[in-house]
Amino acid sequence: MLPSRQVTFGRPAHVPQVTQQQYQAQYAQQQQQQQQQQQQQQQSQTQQSNGLALPFGSTPYLPGPSNLALPGPTPAAPSYPQSAPQQSQSQSQSQTLAATSQGSAGPSTPAPAIPSTPAPLTLEQQHITAVEGIVPTLQNIVATVNLDCRLDLKTIALHARNAEYNPKRFAAVIMRIRDPKTTALIFASGKMVVTGAKSEDDSRLASRKYARIVQKLGFDAKFSEFKIQNIVGSCDVKFPIRLEGLAYSHGQFSSYEPELFPGLIYRMIKPKVVLLIFVSGKIVLTGAKVIQPISRFYTYYPR
Amino acid sequence: MATAYYEFYRGSSIGMALTDSLDELITSGAITPQLAMKVLQQFDKSLADTLIKQVKTKTTLKGHLHTYRLCDDVWTFIVKNASFKMESNEVVTVPKVKIVACKNGDAIEAGKK
Repeated sequence: MLPSRQVTFGRPAHVPQVTQQQYQAQYAQQQQQQQQQQQQQQQSQTQQSNGLALPFGSTPYLPGPSNLALPGPTPAAPSYPQSAPQQSQSQSQSQTLAATSQGSAGPSTPAPAIPSTPAPLTLEQQHITAVEGIVPTLQNIVATVNLDCRLDLKTIALHARNAEYNPKRFAAVIMRIRDPKTTALIFASGKMVVTGAKSEDDSRLASRKYARIVQKLGFDAKFSEFKIQNIVGSCDVKFPIRLEGLAYSHGQFSSYEPELFPGLIYRMIKPKVVLLIFVSGKIVLTGAKVIQPISRFYTYYPR
Repeated sequence: MATAYYEFYRGSSIGMALTDSLDELITSGAITPQLAMKVLQQFDKSLADTLIKQVKTKTTLKGHLHTYRLCDDVWTFIVKNASFKMESNEVVTVPKVKIVACKNGDAIEAGKK
């Protein structure tokens, strides 16, 4: 599921300025911007302008320099599953970069070595590097299987262990196993829904175990049409997120109704994933049918 | 009798004692089998009502739930390494206990709606 919006690769020098303009619009005042520009230029030089830009920019749907990030490894942004110490290293690197840029080439502002202004961009940059190491943890996988045979649910409920069948409430047997810790809904039609697995392999293994249980009860159950229907992951970017700002700048994808739900619902088109973003920096990713868009979470981050 | 009552209390020690006595009375010709049936039905009703209305003693049960099942409104639990803590702080432990729980009294009525 590589984002296909990427257009310009051998990007001319003006491209970083696009992102700067976005930053300008969003964050900063004039004076800071100059510093930012220099910081950014320096950074983008060191990172060889690795093409990690705002996912959709301020003009979504326009094919242009706004794009999702390149998931492939870029020269100066090293291996993505960074460990924590590496992260902090690169953070401090960017800090020193910022400091030197101000000291040597900066405009004649009476700036000390460390910016006394809040310097929002510097913080943002730290966050960008912080986000790169984050791989969301899988929380739930929902899969369906067709056992391809009619089932007598009462027989299953009577003979299988850990089964519940209350046809007045719900027309399926609810069965659980301990390893992998999952729950299955088994319907009389032979269709089955398996939830609760934490990995694709677990989901498949659990589904096979349920199919085997049904088989052992004397039904001619097959294991067919196994399909993962939904994958949920979650992560913590460890910094607060201004949801109003995000809802404003990405209005087409965002729905933020704090009176209804405290999180911002971000419906990403490509990859097709829904994100629930909370002020605390905690993020839930759902709606994916394959692992990749979730494990590539860092590429969502606007740059 | 509006509702039918479970007959499983006849298998308890008090129920067995009653059944034995009734058998004896029938064989000695003191009562008719019909009367004995009537007595047993009353026993089912009385025991259920008494357990609902008069028994207030409680016990807490802890253990590893090995198996559970719900079918036909009957819950079955098999609890391993169960320890019962009585109100008198007495603790009874058993390696395995099977619990069969049926709807009773008002719950049956509620279930019919």
